[in-house]
Amino acid sequence: MTGITRRRIIAVGGVVAIGAGYSFARKFAGHFTPPPEFEPISDPAGFRRVSGGSSSLGANPFAGLDGTSEESSGLPVTEVRDSICTALYGEEPLAPGTVPVASFSDFYCPYCRVQTKELARLEDRMGDKIRVAWHELPLLGEASLLASRAALAAKRQGAYVRFQERLISTPFRANPGYLKALSEEIGISYSRLTADMSSDDVGHDIQVSAALADIFGFVGTPALVIGRTVIQGQVGAATLKRIIELERADGWSQVC
Amino acid sequence: MVTGMLKTFRSAIIVVVTAVGLAPAAQAASSEKFDSPALTARLIAAQDGVPQSGRTLSAGLDLQLGDGWKTYWRSPGEVGIPPSVDWTGSKNVSEVEFLWPAPERFTAFGIENFGYHGEVVFPLRIELARQGEAARLQAKVSLLVCSDICVPQDFDLSLDLPAGNEIDQPTADRIAGFLARVPAKGDGIGIEQALVHLDDKTSALTVSLRSATPFKDPDVFPELGAGNALGKPEIRLGDGGRRFWATLPVLSTDDTTLHNPVLTVTDGPDRAFTITPNRAAEAPAPPFSITAVSPGIETLIWIALVAFLGGLILNVMPCVLPVLSIKLSTVIKHGEQDRRTVRAGFLAAAGGALTFMWGLALILFLLQRAGVVVGWGLQFQNPLFLSAMVLLLSVFSANMLGGFEFSLPSGLQTRLANAGRGHGHAADFLTGMFGAVMATPCSAPFLGTAIAFALAGRGIDIFIVFTSLGIGLAVPYLLVAAVPGAVALLPKPGRWMGALKIALGIFLVATVAWLLWVLAGVAGSAAAVTAGGLSLILAVALSVRRLPPLARWPIVATCAGLALITVPRLIEPEATELAASSLHWETFDRAEIARRVSRGEVVFVDVTADWCLTCKANKALVIERDPVLTALRAEGTVPMQADWTRPDESISRYLESFERYGIPFNAVYGPGAPDGIVLSEILSSDAVIDALRSATGNRTTTTGLLDQDW
Repeated sequence: MTGITRRRIIAVGGVVAIGAGYSFARKFAGHFTPPPEFEPISDPAGFRRVSGGSSSLGANPFAGLDGTSEESSGLPVTEVRDSICTALYGEEPLAPGTVPVASFSDFYCPYCRVQTKELARLEDRMGDKIRVAWHELPLLGEASLLASRAALAAKRQGAYVRFQERLISTPFRANPGYLKALSEEIGISYSRLTADMSSDDVGHDIQVSAALADIFGFVGTPALVIGRTVIQGQVGAATLKRIIELERADGWSQVC
Repeated sequence: MVTGMLKTFRSAIIVVVTAVGLAPAAQAASSEKFDSPALTARLIAAQDGVPQSGRTLSAGLDLQLGDGWKTYWRSPGEVGIPPSVDWTGSKNVSEVEFLWPAPERFTAFGIENFGYHGEVVFPLRIELARQGEAARLQAKVSLLVCSDICVPQDFDLSLDLPAGNEIDQPTADRIAGFLARVPAKGDGIGIEQALVHLDDKTSALTVSLRSATPFKDPDVFPELGAGNALGKPEIRLGDGGRRFWATLPVLSTDDTTLHNPVLTVTDGPDRAFTITPNRAAEAPAPPFSITAVSPGIETLIWIALVAFLGGLILNVMPCVLPVLSIKLSTVIKHGEQDRRTVRAGFLAAAGGALTFMWGLALILFLLQRAGVVVGWGLQFQNPLFLSAMVLLLSVFSANMLGGFEFSLPSGLQTRLANAGRGHGHAADFLTGMFGAVMATPCSAPFLGTAIAFALAGRGIDIFIVFTSLGIGLAVPYLLVAAVPGAVALLPKPGRWMGALKIALGIFLVATVAWLLWVLAGVAGSAAAVTAGGLSLILAVALSVRRLPPLARWPIVATCAGLALITVPRLIEPEATELAASSLHWETFDRAEIARRVSRGEVVFVDVTADWCLTCKANKALVIERDPVLTALRAEGTVPMQADWTRPDESISRYLESFERYGIPFNAVYGPGAPDGIVLSEILSSDAVIDALRSATGNRTTTTGLLDQDW
C-alpha cells in the first residue's frame, strides 16, 4: 500500500514540477521582452502612446482620421478637457503608487469581452497597485446602449462588477426581460434599475465617456488609458502589466 | 436624447472618414472607394450601364479587408453585428436583394463568430423600376470590422449607371465568383434527406443529412432567429462521408424570435447550401463508425509505448490490488520449486495476461466491425459478467480460507505427473488471465489514449495496442521469469503462510463484497442478493468435506447455473442511486454545461461509476476533501456528475469527444475555459484548484470588493 502511495506522490510531483517549470520559464521569458517605446501625442498634451509594435499598441491605425470635431456638439468636451483625470479615473483620490486604468468597452464587441476579463483578473491579482475605471462606449447599436445603461444603473446599487461579469459572458442580447431576470438573480431592485437607466445621471456618465473617446480619438473598442499611456485594441496581460509597472516607475500624475 | 448624441459622436468620426474617398470614379462599373485602414469598400456592377432590355442588374458590395480584419455574416454568432445597407436615395431601383456568401467560423477566446476575412463581395440583385433607363445606387452602409479592436464603420457609396450595355468582364467574373459561394438552395444541392431535432428543453440541436456526394470537411451554421445562439458543433461523418450528423448546444434562446432551424452547410470553398430540414420527433442517432485513422509507423511505436506504460501502471492501480494477492500466492506456491518451474510458471501467467488482452482485442475488433461503440470497463456494466466474477471469486476465497484444495481429476493429474512437467501451468495461465480481467475497470493515465487510438483504428492497431498493454501488465511475471532468483529472496515457507493465505482470502471476500455492491448498482439488490446467496451455497458445498461427491457436484452446478441464468433476469429498471454524498451533484447534461458557462458559472464534471475504484479513490482523497470540497461548494460553481454505472450513450459520446474511452474522467468548464480543462485520471487537489481558478477567468471569487466609482 505504501509503495503505491509513494509512487503516486512521485508521479503527481513530477507533473507538478513540469507545470511549475513551464510557468516559471514563461515568466522568465516575459522579463526579456524589450520594453515598449512611447511617443507623445499632441492632444491631449502629456499623454503618450506606444510606438511601433503591433497595430493594437502602435499609433492609432486610423491616425489622421480622428481628432475633435466641432460637430460633436452634444458632448461635454470642454468640461471633460478641463478635468480630464477626474473624467478618466474618477473623483475618488488614488493612493500613492496606484496606477489608474480607464477601460472603454462595448458589451457586444468580441475583443472587449476578452479585454475586460483580462483587466479584471489583473485587478484581482495586483490588488491596490492598479484601479480600473470602467467606461461604457456603446458603439454597436441599441442592445449595446441598453446593456451599458443597465450596467451603469446597477453600479448605483453597488452591483456593477456582477452585472458586467454576467453581461460579458452571455450570448444574450440585452432586452428588458433579460435585464429583469438578471436583476432578480443578482438581488437588486429592477424598478430602481429601470428608473436609473433613463436618468440624466447615467446619461451623463455615457456622455463623459463618449467625450473622452472623442478627445483621445478612439475609433473603436476596446481602448485603454493606463496612467498617461493610450492604447487602442485588445492587448495581452503581459503587456498590460509591463506598462502598468512603467507608469508606476515613471510617474503619470503630471498629466493631471 | 443621449442616443442621438452618441450617434452624432459616431458620425463625427464617420464624416471625416468618408471625406477621404471622394475622388471621381475611375471606372463606370465601380463606385468611388471608401478607404480606411480596416477595409476598402466599393459598389461594383457587372455592366457599365443599364442595357435596353434589362429589368435586373447584377452588382456587388465589394469589401477588401485589411490584414487581420474581419466582418460578419447575417447571423454573426454570439456577438458581433452583420453588415446592413440602406438603399434610400437610389434611383430607378425597386428592389435590392442582398446575397450572403458562405461564412467561415472564427473562434477566439471561446467566442464563436461567423464571417469573412480577406475579401468578400456581397452580390446584389437589383430590380429596376423602369426597364432600360439610367439608374443610381445609393448605399448607406453600416458594418462592424474587428481585428483586436472592433470599429463600427458607417459610410455612403453611390454608383451611377447610365443607359448602355457594355459588360465589364473582370468585374462580372468577380461578382460571379462570389455568387458561386452563396449557399445554394432548392433541388440542386444533392441532399436526399435532412432532419433536425430541437429537444424539449431547447438545450441541444441535432442535425442529420444524407447527401448524394460525400462530405469532406463540412461545417454547419444553423440559424434559429435573432437572440438564439448556438455553441460549437460536434460533427460526425458516416457511410463514406454521405451521412452528416452534428449536435450543437443551444446557448441562449429567445422565444419571441425562435423559428424553425435553417441550416447553412459548407464543405470547403466549393460547396455550400442552405436548407430548411424537416423536424424529427427524436434526435437522429449519430453514425456508428468513426472514420478510421491510418497512422504512420512512428505514431504506432509511440502509441505502443504508451500502451505498454499504461499496462505497467495498471499493476499498481487500486482495482488490481486483489489480484496482487493471487500473484503473491503463486510466488509462494513456487517457493520450494526449482528455477525452471518458476520460470515456466511465470511465463504461463504472462501468457495468460496476454491471451486475455488478445481475446479482448478480438472482441473489440468484432464489435467495432459490427458497428458497436465500446467503452473500456464496460464489462463491469454487464450483470452476467459480474455474477460470473462473484462466483469465481467466491470459489477462490473459499480455497484461500482453507475450505478446500484445488485438485485436478486424478486421471489427468497422473497423466500430467507422468509427463513430468507442466504441473499447474494451466493454473498459472489462468491466474495471469484473471489479473488482466481484474485490471480492466481502471484505466490508468496513458491507457485512454492508447485505447482511443485502437478503437478508432484498424484491426492491426487494436492488436498492437492490446499486445503492448498485455506485455506491460505482464512485466511483473516476466521479471520473475527472467530472474527466478527474485523468488528465492522470499522468506522460507512456514506457518506464516497459513496466516497470509487467510489474510489474502479475506481480501478476496472483500472483493466479492465490492462486486456485489457494483452488481446491486447495475442490476438492483434482488440480483445482488441472488448472486451472493448462490455463491455462498456454492462455496459451502465445495468446503464441506463430508458431502459425498454425488451430492456436491450437482449442487455446485445448480448454483453456478442458477446464478448465471437468473441474475440477468432480475435487473431492476432503475436500481442505481449514487452513494450518499456531501456534495450536491447536478445530473450530467452536456448542453447544460455550455449554458451555465455562458452565465458565468464554473462547471466541474465528474464521470463516475460504481465499478470504478479509481473514481472512488479520487473522490475520497481529493474531491470530497478540502480545499476542493469548499471550492466546489462555492457559489457560481456547479459540480456535475455523470453516472456511467449503466451504459449510457450520451456519456460515452461525451467521453469520446475527448478521445477518452474510460474513466475516471474529470473536466472543468468556465468562462475562462469554455472548451473545458481535462484533468488527469488521478486527481490532485492542486490540479483541481488550478483548473477551477483558470476556468473562472474572472473575479467571481471576490465579488463585492471591486465595485468602484470613477
